[in-house]
Amino acid sequence: MNDEQTRARFEHLLLPLLTDAYNLARWLMKNQEDAEDMVQESYLKAFRFFGGFHEGGNCRAWFLRIVRNTCYTALEARKLKGKEVPIEEDENNGIEDPSPLPTAILDQNTTIEGVRKAIEQLPADFREALVLREFEGLSYKEIADVSGVPLGTVMSRLARARNQLQFILLEQKKQEIL
Amino acid sequence: MNCEECRDLIDPYIDNELDVSATILLKRHLLECPECRPLLESRKALQALLKNPQLQFEVPDSLRGKIRSRLPGITVRARHGVQSVIPWISVPLALAAAFAVMLAFLKPVGVFDRARANTLAEEVVSSHVRSLLAAHLLDVPSTDQHTVKPWFDGKLKFSPPVQDFAERGFRLIGGRLDYLDGREVAAVVYQRNKHIINLFIWPLEAEQSAAAKSFAKDGFNVLHWDRDGFEFWAISDVSAQDLKAFADLEMHQF
Repeated sequence: MNDEQTRARFEHLLLPLLTDAYNLARWLMKNQEDAEDMVQESYLKAFRFFGGFHEGGNCRAWFLRIVRNTCYTALEARKLKGKEVPIEEDENNGIEDPSPLPTAILDQNTTIEGVRKAIEQLPADFREALVLREFEGLSYKEIADVSGVPLGTVMSRLARARNQLQFILLEQKKQEIL
Repeated sequence: MNCEECRDLIDPYIDNELDVSATILLKRHLLECPECRPLLESRKALQALLKNPQLQFEVPDSLRGKIRSRLPGITVRARHGVQSVIPWISVPLALAAAFAVMLAFLKPVGVFDRARANTLAEEVVSSHVRSLLAAHLLDVPSTDQHTVKPWFDGKLKFSPPVQDFAERGFRLIGGRLDYLDGREVAAVVYQRNKHIINLFIWPLEAEQSAAAKSFAKDGFNVLHWDRDGFEFWAISDVSAQDLKAFADLEMHQF
């Protein structure tokens, strides 16, 4: 495959993934400006490493992994520099897993903004798993590949992400009522 | 199955990641256990909430431009007869050739000649890619089939079937005119989670009857079928399974 063909193939495979890449970066970085930077950097990285991507492989998972790692690298670097950082999180941050689980039905009045805020409050690992599953539509196996963790971890992160999300949304509701 | 096991498996269950035997055990437990049922309900409610497409972030236009300008050597290729925007997409001919070969194998000879298959396959893929990137996905944005269909009727010489399958997870989001196979065609656009499905429809020319044919290449799944005098091409990056489900809905519900 010559350069021209490689480039055409890259465009064909990778450019349609822009929305997916941007959304993942946006959820991980929690703001537009950083997300844009991460996506640009990811495209450049993907272009550089495109030779390592095998014909017939799962391009989406491959690229989302690059986006995810690019975001984490940036977040870690900021943490080291001691800038104010949105990376909280070991897996046991302030929010307790509710027990018993909140089972109240979430109603349709929950606003888009409210849901977004609730998702942003989740610890990064949980948020990542939730976003990859619910918004990117990845299977557990694909999430495991993107995040570089075992399947069992994906399963427990998702369960805890949803538990906490339900909890946060219910808390929001209570605040509104008060 | 006890309640603790049920709580552990409820997420893989709603994510369709559970094997058959565990699914049966879980369903049985849910039928019997009044304490675990609300858990399932709340998970479903949460999923429904998260399905809202408005939760997705729009890609800023400025970002598209930046990527275009920063990637080394993006090729420019104008296409005839279509929107002149989006010069930065080019679909490799190899892809079209691969489609052509697949089509030639799958379709009875004579009904669907190789040259036409070649052109069509290339056009379907590139139309889809273009529609996603050119910010020209919809001429008529509407989730109401009774808005979309009359819009097409006024623009085309034929009246394409337009249906909404929102309840089944494939939401109609609108339509646009596109140009395929040397003619104007209807592009009916659906959304599955965040994924776009383009359904191209135009009147069948020769007498054909063929079962649905599916192809996959480079992350896109394509399905082609005929029904009631129309030719249908569905293309998307949803899974082959999802696209098949979509086609089944379209074929049976008329």
